[in-house]
Amino acid sequence: MPHIVVCFKWVIDETYLRRAPGGGLDFSSVDYKLSDYDRNAIEEAVRIRTALGGTVTGITVGPPEAAKGVKDALSRGMDAGVFIADPAFVDLDPSQTVSLIAQAVRNHVGPFDLIICGEGSGDLYAQQVGPRLAEALGIDCVAFATQISLEGGTLTAQRRLEGVIEVVTAPLPALVTVLPEINTPRIPGVKDTLMAGKKPVRTLAKGDLGATGGPRLQTLAVRAAAMERACEKFGVEEAEVIRFVDALKKRGVLA
Amino acid sequence: MDFKLTEEQELIKKNMREFCEKYVDPIAAEIDENSRHPAEVFQKLAEGDWMGIPIPAQYGGSGADYLTHICAVEELARSCASTGFTVSIHVGIASMLILLFGNEEQKKTFLVPLAKGEKLGAFVLTEPGAGTDVMAATTTAVLDGDHYVINGTKTFTSNGPTGDTYLVFAWTDKAAGRKGMSAFIVPRGTPGMTAGNHFAKMGLRSSQTSEMLFKDCRVPKANLLGKEGNGLAMAMTGFDHGRTGIAAQAVGIIQAALEESVRYAKERVQFGQPIARHQAIAWMIADMATDLNAARFLTYHAAWLKDQGQPFSKEASMAKLFASEKAMHHTIKAVQIQGGYGYCKGAKVERLMRDAKITEIYEGTSEAQRMVISGNVLR
Repeated sequence: MPHIVVCFKWVIDETYLRRAPGGGLDFSSVDYKLSDYDRNAIEEAVRIRTALGGTVTGITVGPPEAAKGVKDALSRGMDAGVFIADPAFVDLDPSQTVSLIAQAVRNHVGPFDLIICGEGSGDLYAQQVGPRLAEALGIDCVAFATQISLEGGTLTAQRRLEGVIEVVTAPLPALVTVLPEINTPRIPGVKDTLMAGKKPVRTLAKGDLGATGGPRLQTLAVRAAAMERACEKFGVEEAEVIRFVDALKKRGVLA
Repeated sequence: MDFKLTEEQELIKKNMREFCEKYVDPIAAEIDENSRHPAEVFQKLAEGDWMGIPIPAQYGGSGADYLTHICAVEELARSCASTGFTVSIHVGIASMLILLFGNEEQKKTFLVPLAKGEKLGAFVLTEPGAGTDVMAATTTAVLDGDHYVINGTKTFTSNGPTGDTYLVFAWTDKAAGRKGMSAFIVPRGTPGMTAGNHFAKMGLRSSQTSEMLFKDCRVPKANLLGKEGNGLAMAMTGFDHGRTGIAAQAVGIIQAALEESVRYAKERVQFGQPIARHQAIAWMIADMATDLNAARFLTYHAAWLKDQGQPFSKEASMAKLFASEKAMHHTIKAVQIQGGYGYCKGAKVERLMRDAKITEIYEGTSEAQRMVISGNVLR
């Protein structure tokens, strides 16, 4: 019976984001939620467990406040959680997140058959953690799956690519990232939420894991997107094309 | 002092919001228009354990606290006041009274299916001549061997046409005054009990309301709830719980009115700018947001007192009085903000305004709440 590991992330709920007066983003009244894509990952793992038996372990990295996210994730049907928690674990690079999760999976999760990740996180949407984690663990990775099944030690997955559906197989253990259309995540019932707090959660502190390396990304600023609409007409003559290019440069569209 | 919901309460409230967005919002206007009881939604509510939140797990409920139930009612009412109310009266009065006063056998037989959402509860007290003046009731229950025989006419029974398990109040000893009324659990289909006229209402249209007619309705002695003569006291306890639910319903209505007002005021342009920038509109919205907070805190506080095992009668009345009157006031303002558009069918604020009115009337009018509150304060 398979042991499935699901990676999830507790992210800012974008509906609470506001535009700050200076053009940046106002985070002062934000709330958090389980990343939407990860709901599909959890649902898929629970669906497989319902069909085949086994266990589902959720794993996340975040500040201690993300404990609520662990509870939320467990209320969606997983059996146990691993919470890598430290006040410093905010705005981690994908490389750092992967380093932490890979160490935790190797040393604290035990043998597993499949790791499921959402296609990307709801906040950064870098789509890095899944493939990098597979690489770090030395297992096959199948990204952007719309349907998966496990049979006889093999993962079979449908991948949606541009214009085609690709069906691939990979030996287990493997990692798969799933697209939202793979399933419809459940809305946890009242008892599911109440039970979540009673499920086993292993909390790992920074000291329980090795170094992660420094950040490779540097955030210079976060700006609210501003939509501007302008309408200017150009002709097809040479002079007009030059005027068109100049207009794009003036607006900063072309460097 | 702690103004925060617990993690569980917050998550459950959010899940209920998601539930409403998926299952209730899409049909709220239609069930209002057609006065339809959305059985399919109640099926889903039952599957998610939403129909018995504060009932202990041993009796089929979720085993959470009353505040969690109140949060769920608030979120439901934010999408559909009728659906929120149906859950409120089912849980807050019908189920809670059996939990608090029923014997073990009654809990097993009647409470478990209510808490699981397999059956719908109803509270049958009001009569044509006995609204706020409960003592003017005329329905009687006369002991005849192993049965009580109930005769009389009840009215404005919520869940009357759709209910399965009715708590019926009748005089067993009229001469004993306040200690002469008793309560009976009467299952749907009991000979002699029928739903009479259905009421076509101004608002709260998907909640089903009817007369309940009793003609030589024989109810086994075993279905007497609590002690003979305790009916009125139990009804008052039921009202404490139910009124907190009506307060939550009103809070949900104000929340929806605020959201609709903010959305519209930012979009609607008049005199060259969104009307939100006109002070006349901005101040209406400020008042709405302020009263919403006040109403919510009053409501949560009443539920919190209940969860602490403390008396909460006065606080439930205060929450119900304040929240319902503010819901009426601000839904009128929400229609005003949307002008002609808000007055037309299809505008959510139009439905909110009609739904708000009943919160000032049922489970004790505003005037009855003021009687309870002043009675407590002047004691």
